[in-house]
Amino acid sequence: MNVDTQHRIADINQNYAERYGFHDPEDYFLKAPKGISHELVEMISRKKNEPQWMSDIRHQALDIFLAKPMPTWGDNAMLGEIDFANIHYYIKPKGEQTSDWNEVPEQIKKTFDRLGIPEAERKFLAGVTAQYESEVVYHSIRADLEKLGVLFMDMDSGLREHPEVVRKYFGTVIPTRDNKFSALNTAAWSGGSFIYVPKGVKVDVPLQAYFRINAENMGQFERTLIIADEGSSVHYIEGCTAPTYSSDSLHSAVVELIAMKGARIRYTTIQNWSTNVFNLVTKRAHAHEDAVVEWVDGNLGSKLTMKYPAIVLKGERAHGEVLSIAFAGHGQHQDAGAKMIHAAPNTTSRIVSKSISKDDGRSSYRGLVKIAKGAHGCRTSVECDALLIGEHARSDTYPTMDIAESDVNVEHEARVSKVGEEQLFYLQSRGLDQDKARLMIVNGFIEPFVKELPMEYAVELNRLIELEMEGSVG
Amino acid sequence: MASTEHGAAPAVRRPGLTVEDIAAISTLMGESPALYASRRAAADRYATVADPDRVTHLWRFTDPGLLLPADVTARAAVAPHEAPHTAGAAARVLMLAGLRPLIAVDLRALAVGLVVKPLAEADEELANLGDRRGAAGRDPEEGLFQALNGAAWNTGLYVGVPRGVILTDPVHVVVDAAGGSVLPRLVVDLGEGAQAVVVEEHTGGDAGSRVVAASELHAGAGSRLRHVLVQTWQEGVCGHLTARTRAGRDADVLTVFASFGGERSKVELATDLAGEGARSEMIGVVMGAGRQRFDHHTRHRHLAGRTWSNIDFKAVADASARSSYTGLIRIEQDARGSEAYQENRNLLLSGSSRADSIPELEILNQDVSCSHGATVAPVDPGQVFYLQSRGLDPDEALRLVVRGFLEKTLSSLPEDLRERLEGLVGTRLAALQGRAS
Repeated sequence: MNVDTQHRIADINQNYAERYGFHDPEDYFLKAPKGISHELVEMISRKKNEPQWMSDIRHQALDIFLAKPMPTWGDNAMLGEIDFANIHYYIKPKGEQTSDWNEVPEQIKKTFDRLGIPEAERKFLAGVTAQYESEVVYHSIRADLEKLGVLFMDMDSGLREHPEVVRKYFGTVIPTRDNKFSALNTAAWSGGSFIYVPKGVKVDVPLQAYFRINAENMGQFERTLIIADEGSSVHYIEGCTAPTYSSDSLHSAVVELIAMKGARIRYTTIQNWSTNVFNLVTKRAHAHEDAVVEWVDGNLGSKLTMKYPAIVLKGERAHGEVLSIAFAGHGQHQDAGAKMIHAAPNTTSRIVSKSISKDDGRSSYRGLVKIAKGAHGCRTSVECDALLIGEHARSDTYPTMDIAESDVNVEHEARVSKVGEEQLFYLQSRGLDQDKARLMIVNGFIEPFVKELPMEYAVELNRLIELEMEGSVG
Repeated sequence: MASTEHGAAPAVRRPGLTVEDIAAISTLMGESPALYASRRAAADRYATVADPDRVTHLWRFTDPGLLLPADVTARAAVAPHEAPHTAGAAARVLMLAGLRPLIAVDLRALAVGLVVKPLAEADEELANLGDRRGAAGRDPEEGLFQALNGAAWNTGLYVGVPRGVILTDPVHVVVDAAGGSVLPRLVVDLGEGAQAVVVEEHTGGDAGSRVVAASELHAGAGSRLRHVLVQTWQEGVCGHLTARTRAGRDADVLTVFASFGGERSKVELATDLAGEGARSEMIGVVMGAGRQRFDHHTRHRHLAGRTWSNIDFKAVADASARSSYTGLIRIEQDARGSEAYQENRNLLLSGSSRADSIPELEILNQDVSCSHGATVAPVDPGQVFYLQSRGLDPDEALRLVVRGFLEKTLSSLPEDLRERLEGLVGTRLAALQGRAS
């Protein structure tokens, strides 16, 4: 990163309220009352005019959600703060979905303009989806991709226009009963992206989705399904923000990826929810023979994030990669990690996790590497690095290695440190002031992550980090 | 979000323990009212403590029910004919369930003040320890097995090394797993500046033996404690061993653990670095064969500033053996300037051997240096091939590779310990035969 960019990074997320934390006056087509019930699920399903089978799946999922206890592991204290009765499970903004930016309702348009969407699209994206509360309000895709047969639309349209594909794959990677929050999402899902890339088609520029929560006590449950057919490739990027409120919102997505033989999917998330959002997300991919799946996962915002992107390596020689960075500031707990399930021989995986905890923030790496019996010749490595800034910062590492096959190579390494005195001293001796020197060290620390991001996001991330770091004297 | 769903596990079948049972054990041990009261308190915990939580990492790999004895009520045992002798040791002790420990103390050690006596008679010493114990509060990992031992221990020993006393020879304690339910309890107290080696050797037994052991060790300020926990049970023995050590200011603690025998064993080792400048090192070696299951847990808790800890744990698994490891390093907020390291390496010798490793870190303060690493890998065929090309047969080559894997760990041990562990490793390696290259 050049010095110029560094200068622009002067004050990250310190001004979250101003940049992302604002909210629009509430003006909705429909705002469901708080709480979840079979009546509400029925209402969502009817509003969407869904086929009966989907409605059945929703009702079954609700029963599972209600029956399942809360997880007993993780940050129980914070999880216990979630008041499921105090959440709006469905809000439909005014106006219909459009592919013409000018048709988006004025207020929402202003919001997304302020957030830089679709400015980003004009610059370098192949397609954009913008979701506001429960529904996608804007959607576009480059015409040439559409001609090649690439499907990129919101999940509701996907279900309407390609019900056979959705029915075939929905819930096959993440079953409803996988966990309490996947069940909740399945019952209440709305919006999200549906992507299908035909055989051999390589989408060379990223597709993007932007998720925005506006109302207080909102629950957003988008559902995303990405299928990359044989030999195809796609890069999907999502970003998310919300207003800052004094009471909590809940974001609980389910994301399913299927990479067929020889396909390649990269899924990038820059999560910057306000610090009153519980972010409890289930993300999992199936990688078939010779497929490559990468999760690039940045967690900057939210109150509590619990997210462990998983890759099931189902076919021989499949490769999985998770590259994640977490930044936990005041009052935040980033409980993030990765799961690699080696279910076929000669599969390989790599997890690189970087975390920065500042003030009383807490970052936890929680991961699983599982090698099934018979999955010989696998290689996997896990690398965790944590940086602590401040007296009350906390870092945890909870890796699990479950290896049922002997002909494999498994490595795990973790390091925790503070910003090194020698490094600081060296940089200061070269004329940098302490803040700049510290920033440079942090930037060096997250560099392997940032270089995997598209330029726009890399710059944004650096700017965010710079803001977060401002005035910190460790 | 991760799924750690387990079906509702059936309740663990605990051995029954009535007030009368406890009174009978207490009478058999011949202990004082104070010790009886602490037994009763432990019995209350035993009655109310939850089953080990299989969802947490601590109990992820072992079914607690398989380690519990069926019956822990009082049963007197007959003393063996041969009493221990003191050659080469400051003291030798033989512990058998239902019996006062058989103790032989070297006269020179006795002269400098070494105290080795049945726990039942160590009222005064335990009262003296009481205050220091209280300061640490209840151990966060205190659970069913620790409570059971506290309530129903049926052989107990106290070892005290007074302030400033330096013992050159070890205190060697042998716990025989013979006799069904064996619940040994060991308390070691090193005074300020004292130095001692305590070897706790669990051996013997048969398919009916179940051992639930608990040891509590206190290393006073500036003391130097070496605790060696060796498990060489006969086939079929199952058991659970706990050792909790508290290191005071500038204390230097070395815990060596070596597990070779039995069918199923779980070992929980925890050292609290309670005083500023305390140091703790844990060195462990496990070699499993047949269908053996080993489950080791280590914990280093840094409670004070400038404390240092290191763990080096190596496991070798042959045939269908499985070694599981969970380790936690926790650095509390007040423990500034601390360093903690942890390394777990696993070598798999056969297609059906297996190893699990969960090295955990919890760091609550920025002024630390901390790292851990873990690996699981098979024997490198390249190494074996190379050695064979130098004229070794496949078995010899494999043995040499295993020795090489353990070398660095074993070489960091004091001479006498290293020789003893190398002997145990050698016995195991001799059994590695007749495999194709």
